[in-house]
Amino acid sequence: MTVKTLATMAFLVCMGTALAQQPPPRGEVGARAGAPAGAGAAQSGNGGLPTRDVDDRADRAARGLMSRPPLPANAPQPSPDPRNFDGTWFHEDSLTFYIGVDMFGNQLPFTDLGRKVTQRRWDSIATKGAPYIYASTYCIPTGQPLQFDLNMPFQVFQTKDRLDFIFEEYHGLWQISLDPDKVPLPGYMGPSVAHWDGNTLVVETKGFKEGFWVTGHGTSASRDAKLTQRIRKVQTGDKWYLEMIYTLDDPTYYTRPWSWARQYAWHPDMTLFKEYNCELQTGAKDGLDPSLVAEPQD
Amino acid sequence: MNVVKDRGVLASVVFALGLLPLHATAADAVNLEGMWKITAPQSSFKPEGGSIPFTDKGRKRYQENKRLRAQKKFDDYDIATARCASPGLPRLMITPERFRIWQRPGVIMIQFEWNRLYRQIDMGGLIPQRRVGALASSPGGQGDDEALVGRAIPIAKGQWEGDTLVMNTEGFSDHTLIDDLVPHGYDMKLTERIRLRDSDTLENRITIQDPEFFTKPWQTMVSYKRQPDAVFPERVCLDTLNLEHWPPGKGR
Repeated sequence: MTVKTLATMAFLVCMGTALAQQPPPRGEVGARAGAPAGAGAAQSGNGGLPTRDVDDRADRAARGLMSRPPLPANAPQPSPDPRNFDGTWFHEDSLTFYIGVDMFGNQLPFTDLGRKVTQRRWDSIATKGAPYIYASTYCIPTGQPLQFDLNMPFQVFQTKDRLDFIFEEYHGLWQISLDPDKVPLPGYMGPSVAHWDGNTLVVETKGFKEGFWVTGHGTSASRDAKLTQRIRKVQTGDKWYLEMIYTLDDPTYYTRPWSWARQYAWHPDMTLFKEYNCELQTGAKDGLDPSLVAEPQD
Repeated sequence: MNVVKDRGVLASVVFALGLLPLHATAADAVNLEGMWKITAPQSSFKPEGGSIPFTDKGRKRYQENKRLRAQKKFDDYDIATARCASPGLPRLMITPERFRIWQRPGVIMIQFEWNRLYRQIDMGGLIPQRRVGALASSPGGQGDDEALVGRAIPIAKGQWEGDTLVMNTEGFSDHTLIDDLVPHGYDMKLTERIRLRDSDTLENRITIQDPEFFTKPWQTMVSYKRQPDAVFPERVCLDTLNLEHWPPGKGR
């Protein structure tokens, strides 16, 4: 094993835990919708929690990552069937560290417990610099929102009664049954059952094995949550997307359901995945960053 | 099952498939899709024609691995068992759990039940592939040179030879084992010849080359039986390890 190989492997392995372990450098956190850069500018009126989304848009723009090269002219197109999602997709937009508002601009409707948990998680990263250990840190399934948000590709394999989403990151797998008589077993990602509403796939997941972090800086969902994802294939200009509207119905942490939206671009140029062998690090006795701390339990 | 046995027919099928839209499911000449499971569970490979032709170094490492196993020092030689890290190849092909084959234009995906792992076979014809994080201004969008990094499960290069899928894999790390004990190095090369023995039986003839550890290439054969289609239970290997540091406090 060469030093170069070790260093490169360490980089690859650490990519998955970096999100959980590293607070964004100062000046690289910016709010959406043209808000001033810096999380502090958005922290008011919500008990110290950001009142806008916090993401890496400014950083990505500085690194030239907001505009990706176009696909070559001979690139394959998605299926013309609007109900066929087969193929490779990629979240090429900025990574949202924290969701401050729903898709309509409303503040998140926290219950007291939801605010307490979310505040604790935000503070651990943004102000204390001592992030908590959670699913992403360990390389176990993170729940759908974070799994999709991380900027790595996924592939959809679809049959008449199911869809399998295979993710590069965490070698993740999300399975959806279109047959209500074949409900998957509960897990970190499910069980998920879907039906078609026109050409929109409506996926409902309830019975999570654990609560999950919706974003890497602490937007939270309890294990009682019901997550609905409305997924449809859309074309904008010459680009194809999977549009996904998430609705979180979690009376433990929120007083009412709330929604946010994401889009995942068609990327047949990312079909061959990198290896993501994160257990090599996280399964080791000294594999976790010692600066990470266990989260207090309620 | 559409098994093509004749080159002329094969050529016709390939031509016809070329006219299909790229989202077509049966993208290659032989349809191997479905759920499969090893016929006879095994933790090691049985070499055809006798014993494994170890070099001195290979035999020494093998004996050392046996000693470490007896002492239950798994982390010193088998990080798949100790940490749930990827077991690598060809070991993953003798998993006692199921796997599913998906065939798509230019690529075959093998999705394993064990710890949600997958394996990809590049069948050629894909558009140039980009790396995550590649800069827009970077020629070809290559963000890093992953080819320099050995993998537990490198992407194989595949091609059809009649009704046989031939997969060549190289570019390994030396972190993994061939099975539960047999070592290999960076220079291991695998050739797998996969074909349908009948509609419900898949066979995989594996040739292993690694001059650092073996005096000559050696072969072994594994077969799999077709299984009913089903959703996999969510397998999380780390949850099954009895680790002192796990879990100290995951998010609830």
